[in-house]
Amino acid sequence: MTRHTGAFPSTGWFKALARRMQENEASYRALGSIECTMIVKVEAPGENDLHEIAFEGFGVKSIRRLDRIEDAAPDHFVLEATIDTWREMIDNIRAHGGADLEHTLNYLTFPDDPMRVEGPDQLEIDTFYRYNESLQRFFDGAAQVTPT
Amino acid sequence: MSKYTPAVEIGLNRMREMARGNFDLHWMESNPDGWGHQVTPGATGLRLRDVETGHYAQVPEHGSSHGSMAPRGCAVPDDVPGLGMYTMNEMSEVWAENAALLYDEAVVRQWNSVTDVPWHKLQQLPDDIEKAVCQMCTGLCEVEFVAGDMPAKWLCRINHDFHEVKLFLATQIMDEARHLDVFRKRALANGGGLLMASAGQEELLATILEAPDYTTASALMHIFGEGFVLTLFRQGEFLAPTEVEKTIFRLCMQDEARHVAYGVKHLKYFLERHPDRTEQIHKILDLGEQAIFTLTLEPQTSEPRAILAGGGIQNIELGLSRMAFIYGKQVKEYLRRLEVAGLDREPRMTIPKEIPWEELAA
Repeated sequence: MTRHTGAFPSTGWFKALARRMQENEASYRALGSIECTMIVKVEAPGENDLHEIAFEGFGVKSIRRLDRIEDAAPDHFVLEATIDTWREMIDNIRAHGGADLEHTLNYLTFPDDPMRVEGPDQLEIDTFYRYNESLQRFFDGAAQVTPT
Repeated sequence: MSKYTPAVEIGLNRMREMARGNFDLHWMESNPDGWGHQVTPGATGLRLRDVETGHYAQVPEHGSSHGSMAPRGCAVPDDVPGLGMYTMNEMSEVWAENAALLYDEAVVRQWNSVTDVPWHKLQQLPDDIEKAVCQMCTGLCEVEFVAGDMPAKWLCRINHDFHEVKLFLATQIMDEARHLDVFRKRALANGGGLLMASAGQEELLATILEAPDYTTASALMHIFGEGFVLTLFRQGEFLAPTEVEKTIFRLCMQDEARHVAYGVKHLKYFLERHPDRTEQIHKILDLGEQAIFTLTLEPQTSEPRAILAGGGIQNIELGLSRMAFIYGKQVKEYLRRLEVAGLDREPRMTIPKEIPWEELAA
């Protein structure tokens, strides 16, 4: 298994997850194709970091850092949390080889605390539910990304 | 006198002609507009959306008058008999712009309860938790298949020109079969069993099945009912005591969100063309809201979730206060979905937006 490196949050870190997805395509095929755009919002003191990840088929079509949410593709949903929450989730994934019961995306977002899912309308938010298993596997790929 | 019927004799005569080299072959030139069709498979394969282009993408506002099962875009000879059973012939009655997309998505994102759930990871749970899980599964078995019965009731009436919708509804029936199957398995697989059925659920489900037309049934089921169930599935994943339930709820959540997406887009399409029917939709939602509120108060519905939310029967009150949050979330998402469909429901809502648990407890 290839190990990747990257610092969270950065475009490089998401590219490392995308490469994991590419290497692991067979397991994503088993879940079915995915067509959605996810914005990851990392809230840090003084500055928010925004990354847009567009999924198509069984992989990632594009990754880019956004200056502001208005620059995002019109159809998208946003996963937002503080940098500490994101780091705790990633550390948990690294420690267990995947999220444990209390660190799945749904677990973290369902109570709207510590993570939230937002979007331009409810149907866009619902795409997060429609592709949840694939998105979870995408983030579980962090188990094979060594922080730099 | 022939020993065969006239129909068989005609068939035999035709075979004699063919055996002599006399073929008809006029079918080969029957559909010049539909011939030479070019398609380009996408990166993920050949989707319905990839083939429904040009000649084949023309969906008539009024479905074919011949009333046969002939596929849209083929040549239909005059002697093809109408069946007289397709009574839903207006595109606006069933259409949603995302129907083909959702069908493509449904067929590639199918899963099964035999091998996709890590059953070997089931663990013995405290008695109150196992009973709460089993009661929740009993309720879900009861509710799930109405979402298969409802499309099945209407499917055979839909004109074949709207096959994208028919295909999508067929996937929904399969999804619901899988949900019933997986929740029944979970209830029976860990030393527990099924517990108590619910009068409140029956009332809500009957309202869906007895709705006077497809669109009101769809608004009630796809948007209202399945929207609420979608939140329950999310809650189920959140409260799941083991990876088994976690996986089940995550997989079901995906299916349910597809059904909701169809319902929202169908209602939007319908109301854009029939704004005069808005009141009718409001009225069916009035009934649904009343039924679900009654249902929410039933012990066999609310208490098992409260036990799971509180982490055990000793914390059931804490769990109930957490349930109030779930209710608020369900209502908020319900109103926002209707907003996408073009329906301003909030001023008409017949149930509270939030349950003031602290106030009630005091």
